[in-house]
Amino acid sequence: MNNITQELQKQAKKLLEDQVVQLVIGYGYGSDPFHVTPVFIRNPDHVENLIWNPFCVNNLTKYLTEYKYLPGKIAVVIKGCDSRSINRLIQDNQIERDKIVLLGIPCSGILEVDKIALKTGYRLEIIEFGEQDKEYTLHTSKGSFNFNKKDSLIDKCYHCNNHNPVVFDILLGSKVEENSSTNKYTEIEKLEKLTVEEKSKFWDQYFSRCIRCYACRNVCTACTCQECIFNVAKPSWVERINNLSNNTSFHLIRAFHVAGRCVDCGECDRVCPVNIPLRHLNRKILKDLQELYNAPIPGADNNTVPALGCFVSEDPEEFM
Amino acid sequence: MTSNPLLPHIATIKSIRQETDDVKTFQMVFDDQAVAENFVHKPGQVALISVLGEGESTISITSSPTGKGFLEFSIKKVGRLTSVLHELEAGAKVAVRGPYGNCFPYEAMKGKDLLFIGGGIGLAPLRSLIDFVLVEENRNAYGNVEVLYGARSRADLCFKEDLFNKWPSCKDTKVYTTIDREEPDWCGHVGFVPAYLEELKPLSTNKLAVTCGPPVMIKFILRSLQKLGFTDERIITTLEMKMKCCIGKCGRCNIGSKYVCLDGPVFTLKQLKELPPEF
Amino acid sequence: MQNKILKKDRIAGFLDHLAASHNLIAPVSEDKAFTVFKKVLSAAEVDLNFTNTLIPPKNYFFPAAEKLFAFSTNGGDIIIEEPQRSEVSVIFGIRPCDIKSLSLLDPVFYGAFPDTYYSSKRENTLLIGLSCREVLPTCFCKAFGTHPTDGVGADLMLTDLGNYYLVEILTAKGSSLLERNTGFFSDETTDSAVLEKELLKDKLSADFIRKPDLSGVKQILDKVFEHPYWGELAAKCIGCGICTFVCPTCHCFNMIDTSRPDASGSRYRCHDSCMFPGFTKMAGGHNPRPTKVERVRNRFMHKLKYHLDRYNLEGCTGCGRCIAKCPVNIDISQIITNIREVVKDD
Repeated sequence: MNNITQELQKQAKKLLEDQVVQLVIGYGYGSDPFHVTPVFIRNPDHVENLIWNPFCVNNLTKYLTEYKYLPGKIAVVIKGCDSRSINRLIQDNQIERDKIVLLGIPCSGILEVDKIALKTGYRLEIIEFGEQDKEYTLHTSKGSFNFNKKDSLIDKCYHCNNHNPVVFDILLGSKVEENSSTNKYTEIEKLEKLTVEEKSKFWDQYFSRCIRCYACRNVCTACTCQECIFNVAKPSWVERINNLSNNTSFHLIRAFHVAGRCVDCGECDRVCPVNIPLRHLNRKILKDLQELYNAPIPGADNNTVPALGCFVSEDPEEFM
Repeated sequence: MTSNPLLPHIATIKSIRQETDDVKTFQMVFDDQAVAENFVHKPGQVALISVLGEGESTISITSSPTGKGFLEFSIKKVGRLTSVLHELEAGAKVAVRGPYGNCFPYEAMKGKDLLFIGGGIGLAPLRSLIDFVLVEENRNAYGNVEVLYGARSRADLCFKEDLFNKWPSCKDTKVYTTIDREEPDWCGHVGFVPAYLEELKPLSTNKLAVTCGPPVMIKFILRSLQKLGFTDERIITTLEMKMKCCIGKCGRCNIGSKYVCLDGPVFTLKQLKELPPEF
Repeated sequence: MQNKILKKDRIAGFLDHLAASHNLIAPVSEDKAFTVFKKVLSAAEVDLNFTNTLIPPKNYFFPAAEKLFAFSTNGGDIIIEEPQRSEVSVIFGIRPCDIKSLSLLDPVFYGAFPDTYYSSKRENTLLIGLSCREVLPTCFCKAFGTHPTDGVGADLMLTDLGNYYLVEILTAKGSSLLERNTGFFSDETTDSAVLEKELLKDKLSADFIRKPDLSGVKQILDKVFEHPYWGELAAKCIGCGICTFVCPTCHCFNMIDTSRPDASGSRYRCHDSCMFPGFTKMAGGHNPRPTKVERVRNRFMHKLKYHLDRYNLEGCTGCGRCIAKCPVNIDISQIITNIREVVKDD
């Protein structure tokens, strides 16, 4: 068992035994070596189901919105990107700060399953993982495999500026060095340079695939409307029929609805079953917000009010 | 070429009767004579009514099949389509398809006494069977008929004409009506339907109970009926469920492995108890 | 029935010929990571190296959005117009799990009120199946009695054996298609090819990583409606529709009217998902499946029990798409295994 998992289980057990929390939301082993699944632990005897490894990609914070009215507190395992969601959920009044106990994990990056599986295959058990400065090592029933962090991580981890959670109650491991990468928007700049026709072709190809599963919306911590506009039958703002026009409307409207509140956790992109590069939409808006309003990334601290959600009397223009 | 069950047929609204503040009874006739003749329904079945462009809803057919040439639907204004229907006037055109669902076991009911218990709009599906049983050519096939019906207030009573004039004047037919709270000008019974049932203490021998109404009323009615000695096979109800296609394909009206649109909406209590509690 | 050989260098010609004379639907790779069954006009568009598409070919017979009819007003009359019935089509490259899914859907769409939209396509479509060459980690068709080289339900079944395809003629429809295209097929003896196919079958059989045991599962499910196991699963579920929309045996739909100011419009049916909260919600507000627990339970009950109860056919083909795409790793093959353990623990 790696140190973080050990510490996680120890802390969770104590929180549950002392009845500080009623529920611990974390990661557990999934149904194959490279996947994890969210687990909900209420019994201190079951904490051995909580694990940490470099496949723990899910942002678990959205589940907190379902437990708002639980009488007791909830502990949740968070990485750096997830911790930004926490700040935003609190700012959006979706959960109260003193209702949650944050088990923070300093994360050096999440491994890309396809790349790993290509090397190791699926017929193995992962016994443990090791981490060095530049590598992850997977100790498996078929031997040990090394993976260079430089080329084995999922895309979003390469421009991560919050390896360490920005808010936490208990830090389960020692802090890791933050990235000092400056220009994070290279792929957005590339897209910006396309002509209108090229942009159209690019997005039409993806939006026409959309099956309107709403996974991107359901997993998003900025999407917390009691009644989602896309569920409303009368008036039917964007019809359920998944043609290009409706799908385009859905994605663009949602991107604007979360503008200024999206923390760039990347979950929408990950869950999309048809590989629509949704993050580009949100990151384009984040880039614009940065350039226009000098807005830091939402959720990076718990004081900054969303650029589009605040009114300051010094604003150059009037309210509307 | 097989006919398309999802294709509705145009019908014209011949008349509209305001039953209560939010319930209207629409009488409709198919524009196409052949369609009208082919539409033969049994008491308890449902049909789908559309306002083309707005949507389609499943409504129980409240007229007995013995009333030829027209169909009656009593519709409560609760949602999108029903609100639009309520705005229509006589002469307006709608689209109708059906009949769907199973029906009340009117053959097996022959020779028995019948106790109908309805609440609110729940009387609408029962009415198709009550009128069927009470019509002259069928009357002698059935025993005594008792109708116990209640609503929140006098204004909320549906089918007042049937309750106070038509049905009590039929052979061996008694109607008991109640409203929830006292009102000036109301000399009838006051109290909830389940309580009234317990007061009346109808005998259960050779009798079938048929009930329909709000879920909370049904819950108490079932209890009272069992206390009165009605066995599970002799208690019949019709379920309300969201039904879209009504032909067992769209998957939403299932209770366990049964589809309410195909295996229901009429069920005996015995059948309901075999289903998972998801309705 | 008879077999034939289709040499690799003839397949492009065969597909081109099919495309010229039929509505040919075949796998097209839009990019490395996304293949979809689409109408093709030439063999060049077809990707024969795909494993399987994410969107199942069931969507040809039961599209995600399908126009049921158009309506318009003319004076006081309303006219309803059905769309044209479909042309004769060929689906090329359909895998055994997807071929099987159609036979599981047939009793749903036929039955007491045959669905003419589905039936007209089903009866006018020829299926040319293609054996799998590999078993994905998420595949488990074997658990349901299907097999990666099983052509049952197709009209022709092709198996890639290196330089050529073994072509099994399984129905009269398949036979007449071949008769109209004899030029592409060779009559050489197929005995060794049949043996090769058996070897491939055995090899693939050993490749399954997921091997859930279905025996007795339905009987267990008959008794576990109220079990807390469903709550544990439901806690993870994010209530999206991915599993239902990628599933080759799902058939839930909604019907929507669209209209224009001139009182014309259409009625469509669109795929809907039992996982969405509003699926069973009635106009008055009552919802028989109000929380994720009821919905998650209903989904797995339907796939593993209700479909069996109703049609004596399994509700799942083990294609593994839902496992591959569920954002929170809810895994039906694991549920089949776990439900047995869960009951033992009680």
